[in-house]
Amino acid sequence: MRADFRTLEREKRFQNPPKDESAYPLLKDAVAPHVGSFNALTEGPDGGLLNLAVKDIGTKTIFDSNDSERLGNKLRIRVESLQLAKPAVPNNDKISINRRTFPAECRERMSTYRSRLMLKVAWSVNDGDEVSEIREAGQVPIMLKTNRCHLEKLSPQELVEQREESDELGGYFIVNGIEKLIRMLIVQRRNHPMAIIRPSFGNRGAAYTKFGIQIRSVRPDQTSQTNVLHYLNDGNVTFRFSWRKNEYLVPVMMILKALIETNDREIFDGIVGADSANSFLTDRLELLLRTYKQYNLYSKQETLAYLGDKFRVVFGATPDVSDIEVGKEVLRRIVLVHLPDNADKFRMLLFMIRKLYSLVAGDCSPDNPDATQHQEVLLGGFLYGMIIKEKIEEYLQNINLQIQSDINRGVAINFNDRKYMSRVFMRINENIGQKLQYFLSTGNLVSQSGLDLQQVSGYTVVAEKINFYRFISHFRMVHRGSFFAELKTTTVRKLLPESWGFLCPVHTPDGSPCGLLNHLAHKCRIATEASDVSQVPKTLAQLGVSPAHTFAAGPNLCCVQLDGKIVGWTTHEQGKIVADTLRFWKVEGGHGLPLDLEIGYVPPSAKGQYPGLYIFGGHSRMMRPAKYLPLDKPDVLGPFEQVYMNVAVTPAEIEGNVHTHVEFSPTNILSILANLTPFSDFNQSPRNMYQCQMGKQTMGTPGVALMHRSDNKLYRLQTGQTPIVKANLYDDYGMDNFPNGMNAVVAVISYTGYDMDDAMIINKSADERGFGYGTVYKVEKVDLSQSRRRGDPITQHFGFGDDEWPETWREKLDADGLPLIGVKVEEGDPIVAFFDETSGKTKVKTYHSSEPAYIEEVKLLGDDSGDQEGQQITIKYRITRQPNIGDKFSSRHGQKGVCSRKWPQIDMPFSETGIQPDVIINPHAFPSRMTIGMFVESLAGKAGALHGIAQDSTPWKFSEDDTPADYFGEQLRSAGYNYHGNEPMYSGATGEELRADIYIGCVYYQRLRHMVNDKFQVRSTGPVNSLTMQPVKGRKRSGGIRVGEMERDALIGHGTAFMLQDRLLNCSDYTQTSLCRSCGSILTTQTTVPRIGSLATIRCRRCSTKLDSYVQKFGYANDSDIWEDGQGKKFVGGDDTTTVAIPFVLKYLDSELSAMGIKMRYNVSPR
Amino acid sequence: MSAPKEGFIIPASISHAALGQVTNKSLGVRYNCAQCAASFSLSKNDAIRCKECGHRVIYKARTRRMVQFEAR
Repeated sequence: MRADFRTLEREKRFQNPPKDESAYPLLKDAVAPHVGSFNALTEGPDGGLLNLAVKDIGTKTIFDSNDSERLGNKLRIRVESLQLAKPAVPNNDKISINRRTFPAECRERMSTYRSRLMLKVAWSVNDGDEVSEIREAGQVPIMLKTNRCHLEKLSPQELVEQREESDELGGYFIVNGIEKLIRMLIVQRRNHPMAIIRPSFGNRGAAYTKFGIQIRSVRPDQTSQTNVLHYLNDGNVTFRFSWRKNEYLVPVMMILKALIETNDREIFDGIVGADSANSFLTDRLELLLRTYKQYNLYSKQETLAYLGDKFRVVFGATPDVSDIEVGKEVLRRIVLVHLPDNADKFRMLLFMIRKLYSLVAGDCSPDNPDATQHQEVLLGGFLYGMIIKEKIEEYLQNINLQIQSDINRGVAINFNDRKYMSRVFMRINENIGQKLQYFLSTGNLVSQSGLDLQQVSGYTVVAEKINFYRFISHFRMVHRGSFFAELKTTTVRKLLPESWGFLCPVHTPDGSPCGLLNHLAHKCRIATEASDVSQVPKTLAQLGVSPAHTFAAGPNLCCVQLDGKIVGWTTHEQGKIVADTLRFWKVEGGHGLPLDLEIGYVPPSAKGQYPGLYIFGGHSRMMRPAKYLPLDKPDVLGPFEQVYMNVAVTPAEIEGNVHTHVEFSPTNILSILANLTPFSDFNQSPRNMYQCQMGKQTMGTPGVALMHRSDNKLYRLQTGQTPIVKANLYDDYGMDNFPNGMNAVVAVISYTGYDMDDAMIINKSADERGFGYGTVYKVEKVDLSQSRRRGDPITQHFGFGDDEWPETWREKLDADGLPLIGVKVEEGDPIVAFFDETSGKTKVKTYHSSEPAYIEEVKLLGDDSGDQEGQQITIKYRITRQPNIGDKFSSRHGQKGVCSRKWPQIDMPFSETGIQPDVIINPHAFPSRMTIGMFVESLAGKAGALHGIAQDSTPWKFSEDDTPADYFGEQLRSAGYNYHGNEPMYSGATGEELRADIYIGCVYYQRLRHMVNDKFQVRSTGPVNSLTMQPVKGRKRSGGIRVGEMERDALIGHGTAFMLQDRLLNCSDYTQTSLCRSCGSILTTQTTVPRIGSLATIRCRRCSTKLDSYVQKFGYANDSDIWEDGQGKKFVGGDDTTTVAIPFVLKYLDSELSAMGIKMRYNVSPR
Repeated sequence: MSAPKEGFIIPASISHAALGQVTNKSLGVRYNCAQCAASFSLSKNDAIRCKECGHRVIYKARTRRMVQFEAR
């Protein structure tokens, strides 16, 4: 129950940042999935994932002949290895003393934090000696604080020197000055066959059913390939995979026969095992074996050749490779790619077939793909690596295409000639870095293969620094995939008990992404490197597990799998013992078993999940700590095993022989933000969700290195405080470095009449003392090179020219044409002057915002090469935002309200000790919302303030016998206050005592970033659309707000006809127009050219006749009847016109219709 | 809310050029390097590089002119 302010400690740390390591290791853990996955690309036992990927791509073969008769010279080309440098200034830069580029520079210059990617391309001609060359493949954006970043091992002190936050986390990229991160995605658990019943499986073909077994196998380089077994009506099974976005279906028997030299007996035994009495199974197996006979393929070689023949084109095999070799390549690249050995693939396929038959027979239940049990997390770094791999493959393909086009064009080709090869390299796009930069800045995946993922966009998000809560939440966010966002069914959004301890049940937004966008529980880790499982098979054998090749199959025996490889079989009874022993040994240590090994023992059940012992030690798994009771030591749990385990939430509920584990703390299930909600266990649960939302919209402290940032918009609370009432985790995460609100004295009272409907009243004096005072920083970039094309000479220069320009400009601008630092600018003021050579004039850009601002900073940005005259500057404006009527505030309990009045302090009620509230809220905010946590916080805050102590608000610390009302009530009593927190109060206006005692205490208030100054929209007259003459829309363009159909209906319903006419016509596109009464047209009337001494009249051109034809007909025309148009043509007649009021769009409609050959006629008559 | 857009404003006095002032020379506007904090001035056609370390971000220093607002 203790919490501390640690003020001195904090102040000292601010003055002297630690020289060794960060004081907040938890923050580093929070971003570990991002940083770790990026590090794994270039470091690890096999030289990093990227080098594994390059090996997996292999060699491309190219022949230099167009002749179908002969092949010509053979070129075998591959990328041998790959290197990623650290960010540095370009090589041609000779001025920079410090050659390293740091992230702060990229933020300020709005450039990308990137480094050179080097490919070692090796090739051999006609299988001769290999020649290699290092090619530069552009600059790849680098994740901060990773092993490619200069900040990786810097201490807080050094980070501050590099203009970063003292506890910079990294985990994001800087692209064009914007901080971007790749968000984590939920994907199917790797290397585990999942039983699925999906009606859409039936759409594949005539005999296809809804049953399937799906496995997402993952190669060592973290790319994946999904294989599906489909059950057909007749009992057959087909194997489906997709390759380069096309789907292929192969009879599973063909795959089996191609994998190893086998026979029907072996396949039968491997699927049926000892269950030959199961006629459902044997019947289907007989059919499976019999139908395959039609292919007449018996040996492995025959089958491989058949497969190779069919897939030769798809895989782009060259003619020098035999069909058998192609067939082998298909198996290597497609079938269960996580297993290198064909015998293992064969056994796993048999297992999957048996699981499929069990699913069809109803012996096992389908696995839930929405449950965390069958999910893992696709990490940003791994996805990044997958994209790099694909781009390298594309690179090799492009080399092939370039050579092909050379062949077709008849260019002389000589593979042995270095000059020719460099010509090929020169002519292809080698800039892989640019493609990655595109990926990061747009989040769009441009891919040939689709990377086995379900979406093409939305992979990256901006790491917004609105406040620290929002920033840190980005790194803990996992998305289910945008594919599911469109789904009508809500099953994927459900909160399942399987997620306990892995995904936070509270922290998800409400509205459309609800349940799809989750946040990791704060103790949940994600494996970024594989555990060492080399000792597991040996240990299993030691525990009496029979080897994989024993005669065994089916759910009656316990199949033991390690990372999707069948390592043995045992009985179910024995399997349980093996699992328990493994767990004991791994927690005990010293058996070569990693602690984070996941031992998923699925017991046999009546039609439940398919049983077995599934052991996982791979990448990307979610993991969390819990205490292992038999040894009283920490264990690591995974979502697969957790389902079948008994984990007590508190030590009190441990039952002997039931529980094996106990939580370290019940708060481990909550995310970082959910943990910070004080006394959240007393609140109605949706209120806690709202707080998680609003905490992220608070105007707080985004950071302290603000002067080295150039974000478009930054909010800053000037008077942030540490909360009196805070969870201890608040300090562990170092939240005091980024205060997010203020402690306020809050009275729950209906007092002024301005407090209805979630409005709140702020004490005017509190406001004047700085309560909630905030600032908005906006950055405007002025780029003079934008107006000219690339390569053109510079024609515009910052500064004043020698021509004449208004002297008033110099009030705001310095001699260099840039604004004076600290000067106040208002709408229309010049913010920068530049001289335009082409026109020979000095021009200015002006400030466009109704809100006045102060110039905070002016930064001059050099270009990349750094030898040209300055063309870019950024101007940072400081906009003061004092709390205003209409600004939004909230406590930490989802209780938001809008400031309705700043009430003078003399009129505020006061207590017997003379305390007057800073904030007044209406009591009606509580009964329906049931945010008891806010009452408790108020009580705790009051007691804390009175005693000068901080209060711990960690949830689940109190119980029915030990209530917070009593705990804090006693503290209040000892301070001489009412035990319940109520106090008699006196009206500020009359000085009379109020009839009821008022609940008054200290609550931490957040100021939300939604402010009226950004929102208000008014208009009387203003810009209109030129086509319709109706007002434009949009606040930015000072447009109007649409009176839509529903508003119109309401006005009709009220019978307010004049109001309706005012809104829809008079205030919109009311126009007076002339109309011809005789022909009824509004399009044919026109104004005449007046004669001298007379007025212009309106005539209908259509109803008048030309003077010549009139004279021909009638002989003469009266001079006064003749009228003249603008071109001097003379007419007679057409004088039956009048003026009417219409909406202007009617004219537009009429002319559109007349273009279609439809004439509109208006019959008008006087009323 | 929207003040009238700035049109052409008749110069209150004759321009600098006519006064014979040389605007080409930067009149004591100082700049600071974002990396090494060196203080220097720039002339009109200089590249944006720190004179000391070659860094490519330069801050404009706060003006020595008095900037005063109505304080109420």
